[in-house]
Amino acid sequence: MIFVTGPLFAGKKEYVCQALGWSEEALSQKAAWDVQDLAAQAEDLEALADDLSAQYPVLIATEVGGGVVPMEPAQRVAREAAGRLACLLAQRAETVIRVCCGLPQALKGELL
Amino acid sequence: MFTLVIGGSASGKSEYAEQQVMALPGRRWYLATMEPWDDECVARIAKHQAARAQREFTTVECYRNLPALDLLPGGNVLLECLSNLTANERYGPEAGGVARVLAGIEHLLKTCAHLTVVTNEVFSGGAEYAGDTLAYLKDLAWLNRVLARRADRVVELVCGLPNVLKEAP
Repeated sequence: MIFVTGPLFAGKKEYVCQALGWSEEALSQKAAWDVQDLAAQAEDLEALADDLSAQYPVLIATEVGGGVVPMEPAQRVAREAAGRLACLLAQRAETVIRVCCGLPQALKGELL
Repeated sequence: MFTLVIGGSASGKSEYAEQQVMALPGRRWYLATMEPWDDECVARIAKHQAARAQREFTTVECYRNLPALDLLPGGNVLLECLSNLTANERYGPEAGGVARVLAGIEHLLKTCAHLTVVTNEVFSGGAEYAGDTLAYLKDLAWLNRVLARRADRVVELVCGLPNVLKEAP
């Protein structure tokens, strides 16, 4: 599995399509994005990470932990879960790419 | 040559950008984009001006409409920063939007020998923003991506250390 992370609006999906020669349709079939949003509802993050990794060759998450700790308890829990899920996915991935300003950097393995 | 420097607040991006420009021969221009709205802005501007005073920069205040700016050709231009300029062109009087920000950068690239643009990494704190903030972030992110593609060199500053995202071949 390839895990792609990076800030909001950084061009993560665009990078995956370009690097793998995928159409938007191929992307919607073979990749899941905004997976950080799934974390808050998950009872078992390890199981979620296992399921996602088994189901999709490419997983994309947006970094959401870079701001001030939110006032709202639910938002705090969601942000915590999102960060933890990203770590679990990065552990399971053969390749981890961070995209910033549309530019990729390999954090684990090689560039696509 | 075109260099884009990105980083979070107080990541050392200004210092890094200024050092890079200081190493270049020729005249140096500093394009300041922060409009003095309140006392905090005034204090911040004064702090930055004092820091630049001993380095030989000619400061030009330019809040919007960069395409109309007339600089002597061949110098080194440091534009700080894209996030202010984008906000000024989005919300200020006679705002020209992202199109005019981009046109301004293209205009500078035609005029100067080396352009350095400082921009902000403000995209890692989630997407829960009130009002118009998310639309502004989309504008800034789009400009960041377009300029990163256009730039010869892109450097992200982390704790004052440069993480090179792109280097001209």
